[in-house]
Amino acid sequence: MNIPGLGQAAPAVSCTTSFSEKAQKADDKQATFSAPTIQAAITVHDLQANSEWRFEVAYGQSIEVKILSGTAEIFGTELAVNHTYTFRGTKSSIFTWHGCRIEVNGPCEEYMAEETPMITYVNTHFALEKLRDDAIRNGGEGPRVLVVGPNNAGKTSLVKLLTAYATRMGRQPMVINTDSREALLSIPGTLTATPFASIIDVEQGWGSSPTSGPSPVPVKLPLCYYYGLASPEDNTKLYKPILTRLALAAASRLTDDPVIKGTGMIIDTPGVISQGKGGYDLISHIVSEFAVNTILVLGSERLHSEMQRRFSTYKTRSSEAITLVKLDKSGGCVDRDDTFMQQMQEAAIREYFFGDPKRTLSPHTQQVSFDDATIYKIHEANAMLSSFLPGGEEDEDNQQIGLYEKVEPSSMMLHCLLAVMYASTRDSQETVRDASVMGFVYVAEVDEKKRRLKILAPLNTRITDRPMIWGSWPETTCKQDAVQ
Amino acid sequence: MTTEFSDDVAEDYKRALEDLTMNSRYEISNLTVIARENTEHALAISEALKSHIKQTSPQKKLPAFYVLDSVIKNVGTPYTIFLSRGLYSTFMEAYALVDNSVRRKMDEMLKTWKEPVPGALDTRPVFPRDVTGPIENALIKARTSAIQAQQEHTRSQQQILGRGRPGPSPAPYRETPTPPNAYRQPPPPIQQGYNSNYTQQQYPPAMNGQQYGQPPHVQQPYGLPPVSRPFSCRFDYTNRDQRPPTHNYIPHNASAGSWQQPLPQQGYSAHDNSIDELNSDIANLITVFKTDFALNPLDGSIQKRLKALLDLQSIMQSQRLPPQQISEIQTQVAKLSEASKATPKAPQSPTPALVPAQLPQQNSLSSLLGPGGQGTLAALLAKQTPPIQTRSPQPALNQPFNPPPVSVVPTPVPDTGSLFEKLLAAGIISAPPATSTPTPNNALPANISGYRPPFIPNPSRTPLGEIPNDVVLKTSSLKIPRPHLISSLYEKLGAPCTQCGRRFQSNEEGKKKKTAHMDWHFRVHQRMTEAEKRGQHRSWYVDELDWIKSREVEGDQNTNNSDNTNGSGVASSSIASKPKLQYLPVPDDPALASSTCPICTEKFEMKWLDEAQEFVWMDAKKIDQRIYHISCYEDVNKAGIKRTTPEPVLGKRKHENDDIAVRSKIKTEPY
Repeated sequence: MNIPGLGQAAPAVSCTTSFSEKAQKADDKQATFSAPTIQAAITVHDLQANSEWRFEVAYGQSIEVKILSGTAEIFGTELAVNHTYTFRGTKSSIFTWHGCRIEVNGPCEEYMAEETPMITYVNTHFALEKLRDDAIRNGGEGPRVLVVGPNNAGKTSLVKLLTAYATRMGRQPMVINTDSREALLSIPGTLTATPFASIIDVEQGWGSSPTSGPSPVPVKLPLCYYYGLASPEDNTKLYKPILTRLALAAASRLTDDPVIKGTGMIIDTPGVISQGKGGYDLISHIVSEFAVNTILVLGSERLHSEMQRRFSTYKTRSSEAITLVKLDKSGGCVDRDDTFMQQMQEAAIREYFFGDPKRTLSPHTQQVSFDDATIYKIHEANAMLSSFLPGGEEDEDNQQIGLYEKVEPSSMMLHCLLAVMYASTRDSQETVRDASVMGFVYVAEVDEKKRRLKILAPLNTRITDRPMIWGSWPETTCKQDAVQ
Repeated sequence: MTTEFSDDVAEDYKRALEDLTMNSRYEISNLTVIARENTEHALAISEALKSHIKQTSPQKKLPAFYVLDSVIKNVGTPYTIFLSRGLYSTFMEAYALVDNSVRRKMDEMLKTWKEPVPGALDTRPVFPRDVTGPIENALIKARTSAIQAQQEHTRSQQQILGRGRPGPSPAPYRETPTPPNAYRQPPPPIQQGYNSNYTQQQYPPAMNGQQYGQPPHVQQPYGLPPVSRPFSCRFDYTNRDQRPPTHNYIPHNASAGSWQQPLPQQGYSAHDNSIDELNSDIANLITVFKTDFALNPLDGSIQKRLKALLDLQSIMQSQRLPPQQISEIQTQVAKLSEASKATPKAPQSPTPALVPAQLPQQNSLSSLLGPGGQGTLAALLAKQTPPIQTRSPQPALNQPFNPPPVSVVPTPVPDTGSLFEKLLAAGIISAPPATSTPTPNNALPANISGYRPPFIPNPSRTPLGEIPNDVVLKTSSLKIPRPHLISSLYEKLGAPCTQCGRRFQSNEEGKKKKTAHMDWHFRVHQRMTEAEKRGQHRSWYVDELDWIKSREVEGDQNTNNSDNTNGSGVASSSIASKPKLQYLPVPDDPALASSTCPICTEKFEMKWLDEAQEFVWMDAKKIDQRIYHISCYEDVNKAGIKRTTPEPVLGKRKHENDDIAVRSKIKTEPY
């Protein structure tokens, strides 16, 4: 599971000032908290109203958390009192509006923070609620909200918070994930659209996509497209059309579905597009494709002014102006290193095939002949291509090369994921690109002599009639245990 | 810590309290925080709070009590100790003055004082039993004698009717040590003077002073709040003859005003004239309505209007309003007078002398008001005008009495807001502010993190009415804490499910939903264990078109659909017939059961399908007595058709719809 953006922060101030003394010192912007501590035994924390308990559980470890009294929420989703929640491999936080007591059992790094931007965030939600009310009254579309900001600014957390609040109030927001680095209800590399009508699974990040069995938390139904690279800038020629397709599908759903229409969309973005010129163009692309009318800029002054410059006179298709708001980054946001990101990826993949601790899934192994498999390899990075080519020839060459390269299975594919597309093997590359993802298979073994692949599929269905895409993201995972 | 400093703190606190005109959580929590941060001045603050409660107008008493409640529950000692002193008199005195709705709030608050602070470790009650006990006893006694009081009331009223209409009556103020009761409730818990329970009320004001030392501001004899007291008194039916000149009261007020900040009377003298006039108009109207009320004591609307006028009057006396507001009020008052004159229902004829005086005034006032000058008050009063026209039978405008000059108790802060709140509080508009929790307990601004509110989503004290959501997507607007909105994520959604924290309304529909929801939880638990044994797997993602056509439903509400145990928030609607995972029950015919797909010549894979509760062949379809793999069949039949989403899907669907052996669910469903 991944709950990005929050976790252990390098404490700027480690002081033991009592709460009451600090309470109203608004000029002191630093959160007051004690240094993170590792603890193992059962502990009980008393949280003051409007404060946050931030915790971090390493991968491979787990803690049990129980709310003894009061109210508490994780990224907007209310926790039940006296219900034991188990968290593993996460950086997360529990916030309380009214104060609460938490019982924690297990080892975690944790601290309490009083300074949170929650007031602003919840007000943002209520401002959106008002727009939704208006939209429903006028039969229009609810706000299409784009969240931008640099890496680790808390974008996904904010998206989740706004989603959870909207869901609690009976709305059905359409959540769009355009960040291929982190998946939403899927495997990294995908871009998804998911309507949320039910409670978000606080233990599993966003929850789970459908399985064949019952789920203790209602499953969500994502629509997935496969991009297969880590950064949108690696291949904008692939990224942009996929986004366009995603926007088209989401817009169609909105047209058909009055509840979602009235609620609107919440769009998460990769941090990298908020960090440079090329990225800004991608933001413009997203804004126009999704008819975004509200942009929330998280924690970057520069980005905010850039957005202002670009969109202050911009009008959406229905000639709405764009509302641009800058929001503060939460002090709980923390940089996630590559190791953590890697673990997150692996966890997402493992969960896809094998389920989570609450329910085990049994994937299916099958043999596929080299000759039966139709595999397309994504061309890496237009950046790379252009660096070898003189200016101006890039487009031409790219077109010649095509989007994908049809490849023979090889040992290079070992331990890689292939996306099985809702398309036919005879379809053109553009069609394959625009198709949604049916699922993923994992290459467990490549026997080049016998020309057979051993693959792990979520269920036992023939997949050879579908084209498969081999991307470089998620990166090759060497987890043998994933195959057993 | 010096006493001087304490005095300063107390003075500041008092001023802050004076601004507290409504049940604003934010202000109350701020006051709580101030109290918390100044515990070394707890005594001074406690005294300031107590004296404020005693002295403020009845409309402001409840918010002030909420401050007290919040402080004792969130800060605790030493405030509990200081505030428990004289709590009896503070409470009872206020109780006697406020109307029934506020009394109910106070009852509720008292109840919470007998319990420990919710969520706190300390199991002792908020106030010790010996503090709350006497108050409770007194209230019980008061209630039991209420019936008697009512009889008394009825009798006195018959008297009035028997006597016919009294002459024009001046302000019914009566110099009496008994704090006047709320004038309106037909059965006031404590009836004035006549009842034996009078002594139980123990109002003797001197006692207040004795009880908790000398507060910074000397209590007036009778402890009368200078502001609204004379006008919030009941209409005195029986002692009509006792009419001490109002002037007696004025010096009294003036001296009482010393606890407020007497401002030099500058800059406002120009308006004094009009203010005087206005006051007299208001007083006149009050008299009209009082007579009216005497005739129709059960008419709530008259009560409300009368109360609003009384409040307005008290505001006029207690605050210096900017000229513009005054002129607005004048217009409205004039309109009201006009209205009440316009439709005289009662036999009394208006006193002619005053009528001409009224009309010119109205005209001049109207001309005074600029187009932009119409504020909330104007709108409010205007709203009230039509009903008044039909109801006021008493155009008795000739008052042999001069209203108290405005200069008596000048308040430093003339504030339209507070005026508005007062009118609001007075019930001149429909949303009664008194529908709030005794403790402002919901979300609080971040800076008062120390505040531990008792979180009891008690429906009987649902908070804050409908305060509109005024957030706009502007940085400045987003930064303002709006604690009242948080409740729409908590209490207003109903009580939470114990399993997952999802909230359900307590109404009929909500209950039904919750039952279905709990059933769903139960079923899921049951099926989870079964599924564990059987083995389960991830489903394929849905195809674009299916996804667009699918609808999110509350996964747990679909009780009649036993298939829905995957807890999917997803159900297909129009595409229920869309076969995604097609299957065929394993044929009974042994010959057929051992058949292979004619296209790929492979055997069919048998598996248990939970959904169908039988063994099935997946991806199988019977066409013309032969069983095919659907995928094989399609490949053969549709070879060459180029797939460009979504057309091929449509084509496929069409084909499949023709002859589906078994209607299947979309693939999000379990199988």
